[in-house]
Amino acid sequence: MPETIEIQLKKGVLALCVLALLSHADSYAYEIASRLTKDIDMGEGTIYPLMRRMQSDGLVETYLVESQSGPPRKYYRLTAAGRQSLEQQKAEWTAFANAVNGIVGAAA
Amino acid sequence: MTRAEFITRLRRGLSGLPATTIADIVADHEAHFADAQAAGRTEAEVAAALGDPDRLARELRAEAGLKQWEEKKSPSNAMAAIIALIGLGAIDVMFLLPLLMGVLATLFGFLVAVVTIFFVGGFIFAAGPLTLPPGGPVTAFLSGIGLMATATFIGSLLTLVTVGVFNAVVWYARLHFRLLKPAMEQA
Repeated sequence: MPETIEIQLKKGVLALCVLALLSHADSYAYEIASRLTKDIDMGEGTIYPLMRRMQSDGLVETYLVESQSGPPRKYYRLTAAGRQSLEQQKAEWTAFANAVNGIVGAAA
Repeated sequence: MTRAEFITRLRRGLSGLPATTIADIVADHEAHFADAQAAGRTEAEVAAALGDPDRLARELRAEAGLKQWEEKKSPSNAMAAIIALIGLGAIDVMFLLPLLMGVLATLFGFLVAVVTIFFVGGFIFAAGPLTLPPGGPVTAFLSGIGLMATATFIGSLLTLVTVGVFNAVVWYARLHFRLLKPAMEQA
């Protein structure tokens, strides 16, 4: 089963993207999913297993906010460990992207 | 697919997990449909975008299995995690099975040996002093205790190795977690 480089790349940075989105503002799953679907063309259903994993890894925590329509909404926020993981992954990503850009740019 | 069909299939795929976990996951997806509806999308659209509910259930179940194994290292949790991962296709059975079988057979061999040594030790400990052995009753008594202690020690080492093997399998499976793939294939 060949996996395209695109899928592998997206898979790798998905958690980083979620952490980055949450570092700007707390959010709920539908909002995060819509944003990621729009920007990096990710399957919407991917968000729930991912959020559960990040929650069990202690990177995010949830709280409920009452809403006027329907049941209370579950918001996610970063924990201290999540913030730390974000900084680390961001540094790794930046270094990697710069290295690739250097090579690809130089070859062009 | 309608919202009701999606939720029914998701719920069916999750059966066996703790009731609170299922309720939590179902609530997440119900909320997703509600939010999408408020944004003007149809149920069929949203169900298609979410992907195959059976597949989603397998992923969520595998995640729950891994978590249980990480929290409590018991044989039943190990089995549950492995079965869930195989269901997900995260473990390449063809590649892993011969390897795993070899390791498990070796571990099992050691286990049999350890149990045997333990019982032989127990026998020498209990019956040895009565049979006028060379070196006297006290020697037989002590060597019996010695054998049992050795067996217990090797047994605990064996447990550590077994836990290590399953951790390695879980690590391998995590590496191959194909979270995005199904959703992308559908898109």
